Amino acid sequence: MSKSVIQVPVVEIREVAEGIFRLTISAPEWSRTARAGQFVNIQIPQRNDLLWRRPFSVHSVDPVRGTLDILFAVAGRGSAALSEHKAGDSLNVLGLLGNCFTWTADLQEIIIAAGGLGIAPFILLLQQLENWPGKKTLFLGFRSSRQACCMQQLGALGAEMVLTTEDGSLGHRGLITTPLDDYLASLDKNGKRMLFLCGPTPMMRAVRELTQKYDIPAQVTVENRMACGFGACVGCPVELAQPREDGQTYMLACKDGPVFPLQEIVFND
Amino acid sequence: MTDLSTNIGRLRLDNPVLTASGTFGYAEEFADFYDLNRLGGVVTKTVTLEPRPGNKPPRICETPAGMINSIGLPNAGVEQFIAQKWPFLQQLKTAVIVNVAGKTPDDFVRAVEKLEVLQGIAAYELNYSCPNVKEGGLSFSSNARIAEQVTALVRAVTQRPLITKLTPNVTSISEIGRACEGAGADAVSAINTLVGMAIDIHTRKPRIASITGGLSGPAIRPVALAKVYELVKALTIPVIGIGGIMTAEDALEFILAGAAAVQIGTANFMNPVAALQVVEGLQRHCEEENILRLMELRGAVQVG
Ligand SMILES: Cc1cc2nc3c(=O)[nH]c(=O)nc-3n(C[C@H](O)[C@H](O)[C@H](O)COP(=O)(O)OP(=O)(O)OC[C@H]3O[C@@H](n4cnc5c(N)ncnc54)[C@H](O)[C@@H]3O)c2cc1C
Ligand SMILES: Cc1cc2nc3c(=O)[nH]c(=O)nc-3n(C[C@H](O)[C@H](O)[C@H](O)COP(=O)(O)O)c2cc1C
Ligand code: FES
Repeated sequence: MSKSVIQVPVVEIREVAEGIFRLTISAPEWSRTARAGQFVNIQIPQRNDLLWRRPFSVHSVDPVRGTLDILFAVAGRGSAALSEHKAGDSLNVLGLLGNCFTWTADLQEIIIAAGGLGIAPFILLLQQLENWPGKKTLFLGFRSSRQACCMQQLGALGAEMVLTTEDGSLGHRGLITTPLDDYLASLDKNGKRMLFLCGPTPMMRAVRELTQKYDIPAQVTVENRMACGFGACVGCPVELAQPREDGQTYMLACKDGPVFPLQEIVFND
Repeated sequence: MTDLSTNIGRLRLDNPVLTASGTFGYAEEFADFYDLNRLGGVVTKTVTLEPRPGNKPPRICETPAGMINSIGLPNAGVEQFIAQKWPFLQQLKTAVIVNVAGKTPDDFVRAVEKLEVLQGIAAYELNYSCPNVKEGGLSFSSNARIAEQVTALVRAVTQRPLITKLTPNVTSISEIGRACEGAGADAVSAINTLVGMAIDIHTRKPRIASITGGLSGPAIRPVALAKVYELVKALTIPVIGIGGIMTAEDALEFILAGAAAVQIGTANFMNPVAALQVVEGLQRHCEEENILRLMELRGAVQVG
C-alpha cells in the first residue's frame, strides 16, 4: 500500500471522555485498507512553531461512509490545538504508516491488553476480527470512569471484556495486570494463543513479565517520538534485546513497527 | 519555458533543488510521494566505511520552529550501501550525490575508493561537519588544515565533482571554505546543523540522550543565509545553500544571496512533498516575474 498526503475535511469531532476526543476524517481509500496498528501523521494547522506532525493510531473505520477515526488525549500543545477543530475544518494527513498486528488461522484465542488510550488501535482490530471464529478476550484498564471510553463500540464487537479502574469507579478496582495474571494462570498450557498489547510503559513492562511467565507470544505497539513517521529521519529507534542476524541492534518504530514482538524489544524510558 | 538549470562546477543540474543528507534516506523512502526525477538531485544519507549502529535514543526532539537531532550516522557501511541501496539510486535519472564521512582521513579515502567502481554517481559530498561523531567529526570541519588535507587526499583518488559540507559551529566558516577550495573542492555546501540543547524541566534530563545535538529547521534559516552570503563573498567555487528551507520563497533568498543550488532538509519530514513543491514554486516565480533563467537571480541581492 503506497503512502500519501491527503488534505481532508473533519467529518466529526467529539469529546468522548474527559480530555479524550474522537476525530473522524473523510478517507475513503484508507477506510478500506487500514489495518490495526497502522497510524496516520497529522499536521497541526496554525501552529508553525510546532514543526512535527503528530502520530495517532487508526482507531476505527467505516468503509461505507468512507471515514476513519482517531482517538486521542490532550497531551500537550499539538493535541490541544487538534481538539479545537470543528467539523468541516481541513486537515493535512500523512498515511497510512507503519505495520500492523498479525495473527495466524490456527490460533484459538486472541487476548488484548489495553491501558487507557491504549484501547485506540483495538477497535479496528476487533472490527477486523468480527468474523474470526476464535475467542477474543479484552483486558481494559482506565485510571477512573472519567477517562473510560469506547464502551458502546466494544459492546457491539463481540469480545469478552474485563474492565478495571484504579479508583474502582468502574469495573474492578486496581490495575488491569491483576485480573490478567489470574486469567493467564487459569489457561490450559497447550492452547495456541496470542496477546496484543498497547498501554503506558509501566504496563507494557508488567505485561511482558506475565507473557514470559506464562509463555504466551505477544505483540506490542510502541509510541516513540517521531519527526517523520516513514523512515526518513532515523530518529525513532527501538532497541532490540538481541542483535539481529545482520548485526543490527535497532529497528525503526515508524517503519519496522509500531508493532513489535514483545519479547524482542527493550523499553528505554 | 523557464530555464531552472544550474551548474555545480562540471555538474549540470536541471534545477537547483537537492535534498539534504540524512533527511531523505536513500531516496526510496520518498518514491511513494512523487517522481524523484523532478528534483535537481538527491543527496544520500551519510555513508561510512564501516557499519555504524547510531546513537542511543532519544535521538530527536522538537524545538520552536526546529528540531534537535543526534542520530549518529547509522548506516550499514559502504559495502552494504553498494549492495542494498545503490540498485534503486542507480535507476534514477536525476543527479545522485553520495554523502561520505569518516573517522580518519584514510576512512574518507577508502570509502570513496570503494564507491568509484559505481557508474552514475554525480558527485561526492564530504561530510566534515556532523557534530555528533565524537571520534573527531568536529575536528575535520573546525580545523582548516585538516579540512584541506582530507579534501586533497580524496581529490587524489577521484575525478568526480567534490562538494565539502561545512559546519557553522566555527569562528570563521569562510576560512574552512577557502581551505577546501585550495585543496581542489568543486563546491561547498552549508550549513550543517548548529549545536543546540533542550532540557525537560520535569525529569531534569536533556531531551536527547547525547545532551547536545544538531539544530535544524526554519529556526536556523537566517543564520544559514548569513553563512552562505559570507561564503559566496569569500570563495570562487559555487556554494550550495542549506538550512531551514521550507518553500520556494526561502530557496530564492539563498539564490539571491549567491547560492548556486539549495538543499531541502528538515522540511522533508514535515511535508514529504516539500522538495517537489520548491521546484514547482521556483518555476512559478520565474513565470510570474518574467525571469527566463532562474540563475539570473543568483547573487542578485541589492546591497548598498
Ligand atoms: C505510532 C503512534 C501512535 C500513537 N497513537 C496515539 C493515539 O491513538 N492516541 C493518542 O492520544 N496518542 C497517540 N500517540 C501519541 C501522540 O502522538 C502524542 O500524544 C502526541 O504527539 C503529543 O503531541 P502534543 O503536541 O499534544 O504534545 P507535546 O506538547 O509535543 O508533548 C507532550 C508529550 O507527547 C510526546 N510527543 C510529542 N510529539 C510526539 C510524537 N511525534 N510522537 C510521540 N510522542 C510525542 C512528548 O514527548 C511529550 O511527552 C501515538 C504515538 C505514536 C508514535
Ligand atoms: C535528522 C537529521 C539527520 C541528518 N543527517 C545528516 C547526515 O547523515 N549527514 C549530513 O551531512 N547531514 C545530516 N543532517 C544535516 C542536514 O543535511 C542539513 O545540513 C541540516 O539539517 C540543515 O538543513 P535543514 O534546516 O533544512 O534541515 C541531518 C539533519 C537532520 C535533521
Ligand atoms: S520517525 Fe523518522 S524514521 Fe521513524
